[in-house]
Amino acid sequence: MYGETGTAMRQELAGLLRQHRVQQRLGGPPEAREEAGLLIRQYRQNVLLWCSQAMRATSPLTFSNLAPAQPNPFRAVGGGGNAATPAGELARALERAGQQSTALPATSEQVTTPTGHDVIERWRESARAASLAEHDTASEVAERMTAGQAQVVVGDVAAITQALVVLDQRYRNTPGWEQLAQSARLGWASLAAALDVNLRQPDYTVDELGWRPKTKIIEGPVKEGILGVLQAEHNLIVRMKSFPNATNLRYIIDSQRLLSRRLVPFAARIDPRLAEVWSDRADTYATLQQQFRRIGGRLGKGGYAAAEGANAVSRIKALPTDTVVEPRVLGGFQLLFNKLDRRIADVIEDGIDRCAFLHRVTLPRVVGDSGGLVAPVRERFMPVNSAANPELMETIRGRLRPRQGRATPTPGPTRADLHAALIHRPEPRTSGLEL
Amino acid sequence: MLLPHAHTLAQARTCLVALADAASSEDVSSAYEHVLIELDRIHCDESPDIYLDAVTQDQAIQFEIATLAIEGLKGYGVDALSVELVLWMLEDAYSQDCA
Repeated sequence: MYGETGTAMRQELAGLLRQHRVQQRLGGPPEAREEAGLLIRQYRQNVLLWCSQAMRATSPLTFSNLAPAQPNPFRAVGGGGNAATPAGELARALERAGQQSTALPATSEQVTTPTGHDVIERWRESARAASLAEHDTASEVAERMTAGQAQVVVGDVAAITQALVVLDQRYRNTPGWEQLAQSARLGWASLAAALDVNLRQPDYTVDELGWRPKTKIIEGPVKEGILGVLQAEHNLIVRMKSFPNATNLRYIIDSQRLLSRRLVPFAARIDPRLAEVWSDRADTYATLQQQFRRIGGRLGKGGYAAAEGANAVSRIKALPTDTVVEPRVLGGFQLLFNKLDRRIADVIEDGIDRCAFLHRVTLPRVVGDSGGLVAPVRERFMPVNSAANPELMETIRGRLRPRQGRATPTPGPTRADLHAALIHRPEPRTSGLEL
Repeated sequence: MLLPHAHTLAQARTCLVALADAASSEDVSSAYEHVLIELDRIHCDESPDIYLDAVTQDQAIQFEIATLAIEGLKGYGVDALSVELVLWMLEDAYSQDCA
C-alpha cells in the first residue's frame, strides 16, 4: 500500500535530514567512508528510480494548475506529460540525474541485508521502501488514479527530491562522492512542482492504493476466550469470498443475529453506544432471517462460511458471563461486523441481480392439462426482483449496509515531518562548560 | 414433489415459522430456525412458501401439527433417518421453549 511505503521513505529521509556532521557519523578511515559513500549512492539510486517511475506513471494526470488560457481547444495546455509543466520538468530532471549517475541501483541482497550502521541503515530502509513502492505506483495502479491522487504523488516525489538534493550537498565531502547531475536544477524543479500541485486540493486517498497482502484464514489452535470468537468471525469474512447458496446464507444470517445479541451485554459494560449498535444489528439480522424464509436458491456454496459462523456462536456461548472485553477487541468486532455486513449486502444484491435467489411458490396448484397420468404440482420459479421487494431492499440498503462514514483522509504526520526536516536548522553547538 | 407432499411440507414450515416467531428467547428461535433450514435442505431448497394467516396461535397445537406433518413426510419418500433427526431437533427446541 502506498501509504505504508511512502511513509517509510519519508520517515527515513527526515531522519537523515536531521543528521549533521555526516563525516563524523560515517566514521573510520577515508577508504571505509568511500565504501560507505558508494553504498549510499547505490541506495539513493533506488530512490531516484522510484521517483522517475512514479512521475512517469502519473504523467497522464499531472495537469498544471498554472496553465495559461488557450483559446484553441485542440492545442494541449499543461497536459499530461508536457515537459513545459513543472511536473514534466521535474520528471526530466530526475531521469537525467538517474541516467548520469555512475552508481548502479542496490541489489535485492543489499536492500534486504541490515548493515548495522546507523546512517547507512536509514539509507537502506529508504531504498527498501522505494523498491516496494514500485508496486504501489506502477502503471496498473496509476490507471485507476484520479488527478487529485496523482498530484499527491507528484508532491511526495517533489519533497523526496528536495530531501535528496539537500543530502547531496551535505554528503559532498565524502571521499569519492558523486553529486547529483544538475542538482540545482533538480532542486528548483522539485520546488516548482511542489508549489504547482499545492494550488489544487490534494486527494490523500492515494495512500490506500497499491499492493496489499492477501487476507488469510487464521489457522492453528483455537484462541482462548473472546479471541476465539474474533478468530472465527475473521475466518468467516475470508470464507465469504465465495458466493453462498440460500441455505448457507440463512445459517450465516442466523449466526450473526445470535453473535450480535450475545455480544451486547459484554459491550454494555465498556461502551454502551456500541451495545446499542449491536442490538440494532441483531434486530436487522432477525428481520433479514424472516425475509429469507420465503426465498430459496441452490446456486453457490458457502459451507465453510456457515461452519465458521457456527464456530463463532458456539465459542461465545462458552464464554463466562463475567468476562471483561477490552475496548480494542470491541473495536475489532465492529470493524469485522462492518466488513461482513457490507459483504452480505453485496452478496444479496448480486444474487438478486443474477437471479440466484427465487421466491418460494405459495400453495402450489395442480396442472390439469399436463398430459401425464399423474398431475404434477405446478412449479413457478420466480426470481427475487428488487423492485417487487421493497422491504427486503430497505433492510439491505437502509439497515444492513454500513453507512459510508469514512473520515476525510489526512496527509498524515510524515509528510509534515519531512517538510519540517527540510527546513529545520541544526541546534547550535554548546561549549559544555555552561554553568 | 406431488401436491400432498407439498401441502404437508408447507404445513410443517408454517408451524415452525410461527413457533420461531413466538419463541421465548433468541436461542430457542434460532433452534426452530435451524429445524426449518434443515427441512429445506432435505428437500434441496425446493420447499413451498408459508401461509401464516391460516395457522393457530396455540404453541402446543403448532408443535403437534409440525410434528405430525414432519412424520408424514416419510410417506412421501423422504429419508426416514433424516426425518427422525429433524423431529429430534424440533423436540429439543420445544423443550427449551417450555423450560
